[in-house]
Amino acid sequence: MTESKPETSGEVEVVPTGAKILAVVMIPTIAALNYVGGVIVELLKAPIWGDTWATMLGTLISGFWVGSIGGFLYNIIMAFTLWGLPNWVWGFANVVIAGITVICVKMGWADLRKPVKLIPAFLLFGLVYPIFTTAVSIGLFGGGPLWKPLPAAVYAATLSSTGNFYLANYVQAISTEIPDKIISFVISLAIASRVPRRLVLLKR
Amino acid sequence: MAVSKVQYPISVEGFTYSYPSKPYVLRDISFKVERGEAVGIIGPNGAGKSTLCRALNGLVPHFYGGRMSGRIYVAGMDTLKHTVAELSTKVGLVFQEPETQLSGLALTVEDEISFGLSMLGYPKEVILDRTREAIEKVGLKGLEHRSPFELSGGQQQRLAIATVLAMKPEVIVLDEPAAQLDPLGKSQVFDVLRELLREGSTILVAEHEIEELATFTHRLILLDGGRILCDGSSRHVLRQVERLKSSGVDPPSVTELAHLVKTVCRMRLEDYPITVEEAVGLFAELLEGGRI
Amino acid sequence: MLAFVGRVARQVGLPLLVVVLPWMALSVPILSLPLGFPWNQTVVYRIQMLGLDIPVYLEGLAWGFTWPLRIGVTISAALLFYLTTQQTALVAMLFKFRMPFRFIYMVAATLQMIPLMVDEVRSIYQAQLARGLRTDVGIIKKLWNFLTLVVPLTLSSLGKVQTRAIALESRGFSAPVAKTVLYDIRFKRVDYVFFACMAAATVYLGFLYVTEGYSPIVHLRYLLLG
Repeated sequence: MTESKPETSGEVEVVPTGAKILAVVMIPTIAALNYVGGVIVELLKAPIWGDTWATMLGTLISGFWVGSIGGFLYNIIMAFTLWGLPNWVWGFANVVIAGITVICVKMGWADLRKPVKLIPAFLLFGLVYPIFTTAVSIGLFGGGPLWKPLPAAVYAATLSSTGNFYLANYVQAISTEIPDKIISFVISLAIASRVPRRLVLLKR
Repeated sequence: MAVSKVQYPISVEGFTYSYPSKPYVLRDISFKVERGEAVGIIGPNGAGKSTLCRALNGLVPHFYGGRMSGRIYVAGMDTLKHTVAELSTKVGLVFQEPETQLSGLALTVEDEISFGLSMLGYPKEVILDRTREAIEKVGLKGLEHRSPFELSGGQQQRLAIATVLAMKPEVIVLDEPAAQLDPLGKSQVFDVLRELLREGSTILVAEHEIEELATFTHRLILLDGGRILCDGSSRHVLRQVERLKSSGVDPPSVTELAHLVKTVCRMRLEDYPITVEEAVGLFAELLEGGRI
Repeated sequence: MLAFVGRVARQVGLPLLVVVLPWMALSVPILSLPLGFPWNQTVVYRIQMLGLDIPVYLEGLAWGFTWPLRIGVTISAALLFYLTTQQTALVAMLFKFRMPFRFIYMVAATLQMIPLMVDEVRSIYQAQLARGLRTDVGIIKKLWNFLTLVVPLTLSSLGKVQTRAIALESRGFSAPVAKTVLYDIRFKRVDYVFFACMAAATVYLGFLYVTEGYSPIVHLRYLLLG
């Protein structure tokens, strides 16, 4: 090792290297929180999904990549363990969610103290996002009623009144996504505002 | 010049550091630790103990970033010029939270201990040997195949010490290792430290409670507001009861008692006891002499 | 059948029954009754009820069974994988496939974190039940309950993130060297034979799928009615 020149006592500015490894730990935490959200929803028998809120939270705290990778990872793991392999495609739903979250933050639609400004965010999550889920659900799985009774009833009602198969799937998606995403987004905003500052270090 | 630094496992020279969000957490810290020495870092919460511990293995400044001046040499290596990974075989850092410092990857105690060496790409045989050795040293034999998350706090903390031992570091640094443990866990951890010391390890412990610390450290450093207020033999530091208390550190109760006996009863005491054994000896003497 | 070999039939079967049967109970009537399912063409039965004459369609009936079953099959495959694969083997396998170590860590850490967090939720939930939390309440109250479970859990797990990150870092996680994995997996002959059989079966089923069509409904009519 070469001997350095005698050190001056001047101050040195050091660039942090912690962000990368924080992300490595943050991502599995996000994935696990998504899972736990789903479990709690089942436990309380609430009529929502509850398993994408951590994706939003991760995006709010640590940026698009951590949020979407965390959500994607959750879906891959669920596909391998519970839902079955083809369901890994839903991972892309989390990328879309993380993307929408970033848009909302950029547009200033992510401030709980300005509830009116949250409306466009809700519209994006509630109406635009279900287009994506409907496309996946019909394109890949053939479409059909969900196994939660409430949306299935919505599905049946739409189908019988309009006779439009695609519309029925879309309306069914909307009926679950609107409450789910609105609630999830509000919760993740509320929690993100209470998160210790040092974790926000990732967001650059 | 380089040679003289290698002699010390730790050599801190005028170290000053600011976090990006918090200025001057440490100011002009200088001290050297001898091989085989047990040093306690004491001080109130927020004195900079944790930051100092993290500076010794390079987490400060590399992980956090920030501004620093002065230097820290660990086994002759400048912490500013080496990565945390490179320093990990020189300094083993044990944290306060028993569960959170587990890797989260290992399924068994054995895996957990070998994690560090695996990360550094050591050959498999070396890893298995060292793992076995470390398990024995901390007294976790028989629990090798348990999940680390099933262990008690005291066991987890000993596991954390074992993970560090497997790396064969020059210095073991512990950041309040007993703060979150029950009394049994605490004594288990300190027993392991005493044993390691007997085998010649160099140990540096930051601790809020001094009682146990006083029984085995050779030397104490009192830290307050990011500065060293006092650095000397354990006995020398602990007998400054008033000074400790003004910094918000409770001296061992026997020491405090002796101090009160001296000041309140105006009794002449040559020296304060710092452990229970010493106190028993002292007060027995006093009682026999009829002075109390 | 594989499930029996793996002695996990019970664990696989139970969740399947729980999910698939009620699902069928929902989807069969919705799709087979004249509610507008687009493929409905063939009337197989007419229910005479309360003076009404309700046709039951074959296509809807079949799809009502197959749609949950299709999901059921993927679920059971996944459960099989989950219940028969050891995490160490999984890590070793990912390592063998030369996945980046960060990715391997993220997968394994998620698998380890989930049961710990679920335990934590359970204990918070039990504590709240003991303090009088009610589950038979309106939707707003349910949401509030959701919050009281999720917020403490999230804050505590996010609080752990940094400590774990620095603990990993101080144990050489980002050392730029090839990591050592202690568990080795070697594929035995049995495994290769098994892979070959599975590949053959997949190709055959894929062939059927392509030639016979997207959904069995299209053909049911020919099969049953000639």
